[in-house]
Amino acid sequence: MSSINRESITLVTGVIGADTHIVGNRILSMGLEEAGFKVVTLGALTPAAEFVKAAIETAADGIMVSSLYGQGELDCRGFRDLCIEAGLDGILLYIGGSLVVGKQEWSEVEGRFLGMGFDRAFANATRVEDVVEALDKDFAARKKSG
Amino acid sequence: MNLNSDDTPISAAAIPADDFALMRTENLARWPTGADVDLDEAVEFHKSLPQEKQLGWVMRRAAEEGRCLTQPRGGFGTLELQLELMRALDQDGMADIVPTTTDSYTRNEQWEQAATGIEESKRQGRSMLNGFPMVNYGPKEARKLIEAINKPAIVLSGTAMPRLTCEVGFAAGFSGYLGSGIAYTTSYTKDTSIAEGIRNYQYLDRLAALYQEKGVELHRRQPGFLTGTNVPPCIAIAVGVLDALLAAGQGVKNYGLELAQTLHLIQDAAAIKVCGELAQEYLLAAGFEDMFTPVTSLHWMGAWPQDDAQSAALVSYGGTLAAVGGAVSVTTKSTHEAYGIPTPAANAEGLRTTRMAVYLARHIRLDDLPEFKAEVDLLRRETRPIIDKALEMGDGDAALGAVRALEAGALDIPWSPSRFVKSRVMPARDADGYLRIYDPGDMVFASDVAEIHTERLKKRAEVEGVAFDRNLAVKSVYEISEPLDKLLPFPWAAE
Repeated sequence: MSSINRESITLVTGVIGADTHIVGNRILSMGLEEAGFKVVTLGALTPAAEFVKAAIETAADGIMVSSLYGQGELDCRGFRDLCIEAGLDGILLYIGGSLVVGKQEWSEVEGRFLGMGFDRAFANATRVEDVVEALDKDFAARKKSG
Repeated sequence: MNLNSDDTPISAAAIPADDFALMRTENLARWPTGADVDLDEAVEFHKSLPQEKQLGWVMRRAAEEGRCLTQPRGGFGTLELQLELMRALDQDGMADIVPTTTDSYTRNEQWEQAATGIEESKRQGRSMLNGFPMVNYGPKEARKLIEAINKPAIVLSGTAMPRLTCEVGFAAGFSGYLGSGIAYTTSYTKDTSIAEGIRNYQYLDRLAALYQEKGVELHRRQPGFLTGTNVPPCIAIAVGVLDALLAAGQGVKNYGLELAQTLHLIQDAAAIKVCGELAQEYLLAAGFEDMFTPVTSLHWMGAWPQDDAQSAALVSYGGTLAAVGGAVSVTTKSTHEAYGIPTPAANAEGLRTTRMAVYLARHIRLDDLPEFKAEVDLLRRETRPIIDKALEMGDGDAALGAVRALEAGALDIPWSPSRFVKSRVMPARDADGYLRIYDPGDMVFASDVAEIHTERLKKRAEVEGVAFDRNLAVKSVYEISEPLDKLLPFPWAAE
């Protein structure tokens, strides 16, 4: 499977908006590093524009956004456009956490975020191994397509 | 003169009266409702309240009588919804202490956005804010909340910027206020310096002391849950004691300390005992002889299970832990915890479930149990050196010591979002269910104490047949939220 070289891939991680829930994002960052990726951690309370800025500065291949406090839907609107405007056309975008207010059907929530331009959306309590597997698959597919 | 400037040297000394008067004038001018804050009128209102609606009196009386009071959390975006919620918690939930949680805009002093949130909530007929916008409503409107209930009321506002909200809350007639400079700054901010957070809470404590000087004893409370994720009792207690010293420095006399439950009966009981004990020990040593420091136990603050039945067990067990440990009050959650903010009915049910558990456990104490005594002894040996080191680093000053110790990692908070905290310490649950420290980061423990932690965690790795590594800490973060079929399946199920 590992036709991709994880050491050559840089990922930006952080918690978007006015959200201080850092635990899951930190566990993800640790896990990604352990798996061999280069990880740039922005931590809690990170505005959308800061993700994009960090991605440009580090020539990142992907941005991993976390949101736990329910307002992610507001915070993430226009995120893909921000990336495109900054010249990050093909950058891989993942989102994960408790993405909306209250209990809602996951398939609908996922659809909403994919519609916003995220390549994948993950429900709360997704394990790091599953994210690494998805990253391998997505970067391998990109490599193949050129 | 800018009294809020970040380059004013930090110290635990009381803010001089003249400076404080200037600070108040500046502060109250930041939003129109600030003009409605009239301290002398508020003092008269507090004095006119019956004793059972004054939290300072209620906490003292509960401690004397050995009671364990119940208190939930809760806040909605409009006065009407908040009135309804507080009545439901008071009457249907039998809450002994009734809360008002503020919304996130208010906590971040974004009052214009809070105003939009109020309008949106009115338009939609449901709360669009995750709490009550105390400052926007102002003291006159917020007083209607106090008048609607028959119990004392407390403000809950997780922020490092409490200055205007506390003025409005106390003026409205709230007699309790949760929050502290070290705990909230390390847990709710990324770029706010610890010194700035401490200064903001010195303002709040100084204000509470001003009421005290005028004959009204308010209840201040320290939010010991910190990041809410597997905080070892020694760290929670060390922070609590330092925050208490800071409050005492401003003249506060009635100061509660909170501890989040580890969910281990013996460890939680030991923590409640040692917390009260060490607070008094260090306050006395610093010359503060008359500060009352009751301990509050908090239902599980980490990730909750999705299943209502599993959550109900945590709610009920949380009442047991608080009562057996001898906590003066318990702060409750509900079966809706995994999904966010509970309905008034679910919140009230969490209160009653807890109340029944408190009733059932009311005569049980662990004092003579050898395992309890051993844990108390261990906890004392863990905690004293952390506090001593911080005070030493501050040349005896708790404010300076806290800033320096956090910077150096000698005092460390697990999973903190703040860049002024090292956050290298890593806790994990051991084979017997105690919360231990897997990696102390730069915190220094006596070698025999550190050895106990390592040995217990190695035992867990051995029992589970996994490596002794960081994953023990990571798994401990998720453990309690796991489904039952993973936690405790039928052991002999056919493949």
